[in-house]
Amino acid sequence: MDKEKNHLQKDEEYEIDTLTNDRLIKGHDYDGIRELDNDLPPWWKWLFYITIAFAIIYSIRLFVFKAPDLIQNDEYQKEMASFNASNAVAKAGKTFEVKLLTDKASLAKGSEIWHKICAACHMADGGGLVGPNMTDKYWIHGNTPRDLYNVVTNGVIAKGMLSYKDQLSDKARMDVVSYILVKLQGTKPAHPKAPQGKKYE
Amino acid sequence: MSVERFTYDNKFTKLFMYATILWGFVGMLVGLTAAFDLIFPVLNAGIPWLTFSHIRPLHTNAVIFAFVGNGIFTAVYYATPRLLKTPMYSKTLGAIHFWGWQLIIVAAALTLPLGLTQSKEYAELIWPIDVAVVIIWVIFGINFFMTIVQRRMKHMYVAIWFWIATWITVAVLYIVNNLQLPTSLLHSYPIYAGVQDALVQWWYGHNAVAFFLTTPYLGVMYYFVPKAANRPIYSYKLSIIHFWALIFIYIWAGPHHLLYSALPDWVQALGVVFSIMLIAPSWGGMINGLLTLRGAWDKVRKDPVLKMFVVGVTAYGMSTFEGPMLALKSVNALSHFTDWTIAHVHIGTLGWNGMLTFGMVYWLVPRLFSTKLFSRSLANVHFWLATLGMLFFAIPLYFAGITQSLMWKQFTDAGYLAYPNFLETVTQILPMYAMRAFGGSLYFTGVILFVINIWKTVAAGKFVRYEEDQAPAREIDTHGAKENLQWGWHRKLEGKAVKFSVFAFIAILIGGAVEMIPMFMIKSNVPTIAAVKPYTPLELQGRDIYVSEGCYLCHSQMIRPFRSETERYGEYTKAGEGVYDFPFQYGSKRTGPDLAREGVQSLPNYKPDSWHYNHMLDPQKMNAESIMPPYPWLITRNIDIASTPAKIRAMIKLGVPYPKNYADKAVGDLKVQAHKIAENLRQSGIKVDDNKEIIALIAYLQRLGTDIYKDK
Ligand code: HEC
Ligand code: HEC
Repeated sequence: MDKEKNHLQKDEEYEIDTLTNDRLIKGHDYDGIRELDNDLPPWWKWLFYITIAFAIIYSIRLFVFKAPDLIQNDEYQKEMASFNASNAVAKAGKTFEVKLLTDKASLAKGSEIWHKICAACHMADGGGLVGPNMTDKYWIHGNTPRDLYNVVTNGVIAKGMLSYKDQLSDKARMDVVSYILVKLQGTKPAHPKAPQGKKYE
Repeated sequence: MSVERFTYDNKFTKLFMYATILWGFVGMLVGLTAAFDLIFPVLNAGIPWLTFSHIRPLHTNAVIFAFVGNGIFTAVYYATPRLLKTPMYSKTLGAIHFWGWQLIIVAAALTLPLGLTQSKEYAELIWPIDVAVVIIWVIFGINFFMTIVQRRMKHMYVAIWFWIATWITVAVLYIVNNLQLPTSLLHSYPIYAGVQDALVQWWYGHNAVAFFLTTPYLGVMYYFVPKAANRPIYSYKLSIIHFWALIFIYIWAGPHHLLYSALPDWVQALGVVFSIMLIAPSWGGMINGLLTLRGAWDKVRKDPVLKMFVVGVTAYGMSTFEGPMLALKSVNALSHFTDWTIAHVHIGTLGWNGMLTFGMVYWLVPRLFSTKLFSRSLANVHFWLATLGMLFFAIPLYFAGITQSLMWKQFTDAGYLAYPNFLETVTQILPMYAMRAFGGSLYFTGVILFVINIWKTVAAGKFVRYEEDQAPAREIDTHGAKENLQWGWHRKLEGKAVKFSVFAFIAILIGGAVEMIPMFMIKSNVPTIAAVKPYTPLELQGRDIYVSEGCYLCHSQMIRPFRSETERYGEYTKAGEGVYDFPFQYGSKRTGPDLAREGVQSLPNYKPDSWHYNHMLDPQKMNAESIMPPYPWLITRNIDIASTPAKIRAMIKLGVPYPKNYADKAVGDLKVQAHKIAENLRQSGIKVDDNKEIIALIAYLQRLGTDIYKDK
């Protein structure tokens, strides 16, 4: 590169900085601060050019070609479609049986879900607060595994009990229902909520 | 040519410097309190102004406008006269500027913890204080620009360019973002709503970083680094290119705070591409700072001032690379709403702003007091505490952010969210929060040493109020002289302050205008949704309580278009849903779950009224591990019912379609709705009166996100 052309014109415009041998620009002296006449570092220039190229290509892809990976609703629809397709395959042919589970693993899983999700309203010990007491023999919607499973699956929206069918798998719902019936029933919570519903023996 | 003699007055430099130190100390102490609040939510002891959501805005405003703000003025009042060879224009204006600014800070410190806020980040101050800020900023501007007018130097140095750009841009940003309609002395609504408000706010918020934390501190760098190292600036050309590129490009990048939000794709894209193009201009500043030290590296090893400058400028380089990376949609999909962002800003603030300020003060004090620094080794210890503190702060938060985000997005094989309970993703990262508080404590210990060191130095020295200098009068340029270098045209511009300022003004206007004008003028950018209706008066009051309590500092209201979000929170947020949201409440950080659809009964997060009541009173009762602070005062405080008609009238003025004369009926409607909710609570055994704030807040929470679900 012809460095001389870039600067210039007469050598008397410059002095030499003794520590670096770079050229100081004459007349540039602000409260003792001098300025060197160094060029832009080439790598820096290239960095700038590359980012500008990126910007141009990105913009063309969006504004001219409407690239679907830059349009967020398209991206979302694609994500959902690919999930739904694979989910349909996974679910096909599988039936689920509603039946009380008493094995250790299921009850442990049920306990975990209870403490993480349900305790917020029913309290960890099942004594109830916003939701009803789970330790007594009174039930609003019945006491069979199927009754409980239906409540947890579909919720009682108007009363503040949520539907968990999109949040917990069939099996997970059965785990937590079993946990209620096997582990919580008959225990003595710290602050039991007054009975609600009918008594079931 | 005759040489003229004149004197610099160091008084305001000294005062601004003291203020910098004082507010830095206070602001960081408040930040540390906030960090501990997050680990121990009950630390607030039931006191509103100790609660995280009240002191977080205090912290950000204090460190930005009080600490860095006074730091800027320290540098400007010291360097401008010396660079232009003339004293500052007016001592009276200097005094008004100094005391006015400090009064504003005190007013902020009194109002923010009380919940008097607009809720727009870094623009929280209520309207009377905003007016004061504008007045004082203009006073500062007059003092600064008149000094330029009176200069003896023909040309303006690059530090001055950056301060000119700062002054102009901050004025524009502050005014545009703070346009608001007062409903009382202490309350107002912004004139923008929803996604438009969000765009204006983040155009402001991003450029507060750019033009309050960055450009003025580049001015600091350009003056104090070469002075302290006694070395020439590496490249004059680089100064020119990176200055213009930086100020022109920066202003466009705001939308990167709103990626994957209700903002239209085209605006998001502009935010992405301009952020990427910012890398080189930002690094231009870093290179020019670091390479100025060529030939002085032996000094750097020994001198704490230079060491701080090196770490500061390096931190600048790091965060200006990280920033553009966070602006890539794929990275942002992971990082947004997490602690990653918090780590990112603290590399910038603790590193760049903090280190540069400390270095500047360590350099200035011995000169202002004609003595030596009390202890060099103490300053060295400060340097190490600050450096380590910064790392211990940021690294755990990077881990925290990434961990939590991955947990939010994780699905089980069966296609369910792996962590349906949001709180689980919070307890997972609490140890990281503790580490952050430790890092912050290290950094703060360094600040204590700094204060002691400065104190002792000041005590040992004697203040040099006046300094003599001399320079020839400015030669008034009749025609173009011999500016025949390659960059001669720019050299000429440096001698023309007015022209220079006008060019800078144009450069910073373009980006904002291109993004904002279509957002307001073209309807398709905010498609109307017929089901979206104005808030009821009670919900409106509840919303104002939500704003005032600062819930948006922990809760977003912006569901992003990802399956992991729509499964957790429901349908993603649409632009048309926010048209009555004055101000918008998208939030920028999810310490708690998103609340955009909290009221939708068919969604997994729905909670009955009684749950909300118990939860606001004592979140730890509902979830022992919750880090949400208790808000017991909501149960005892009364709704400010009398303010309702004024608020409705303001809403009508802003274009919200309430029926004519609705302001007169609003209170009646409010009472009916409040009674219904309170009655419902009483039925589930809760003793509560109709007129308590909690009732309005519940009304608002139960309304959230429901409009577009009505017919589903
Ligand atoms: C947001 C609060 C809340 C959460 C969280 C919650 N529940 Fe409930 N739940 C309630 C309420 C309220 C009722 C009472 C519904 C009614 O009155 O019909 C209830 C009722 C029930 C019932 C029926 C009780 C009866 O007497 O018939 C079952 C079973 C139940 N919940 C299980 C669960 C399980 C399992 C979970 C966790 C997966 C859970 N709940 C989470 C609030 C909640
Ligand atoms: C320090 C951060 C923080 C602040 C401030 C905060 N919250 Fe929370 N919030 C949380 C966390 C964490 C959770 C999740 C744990 C829980 O339910 O308590 C939460 C949960 C909630 C929930 C339940 C959401 C759901 O769907 O499960 C609501 C509603 C809520 N907060 C409302 C508020 C309101 C209203 C305010 C302001 C008065 C507020 N929060 C302030 C952190 C915070």
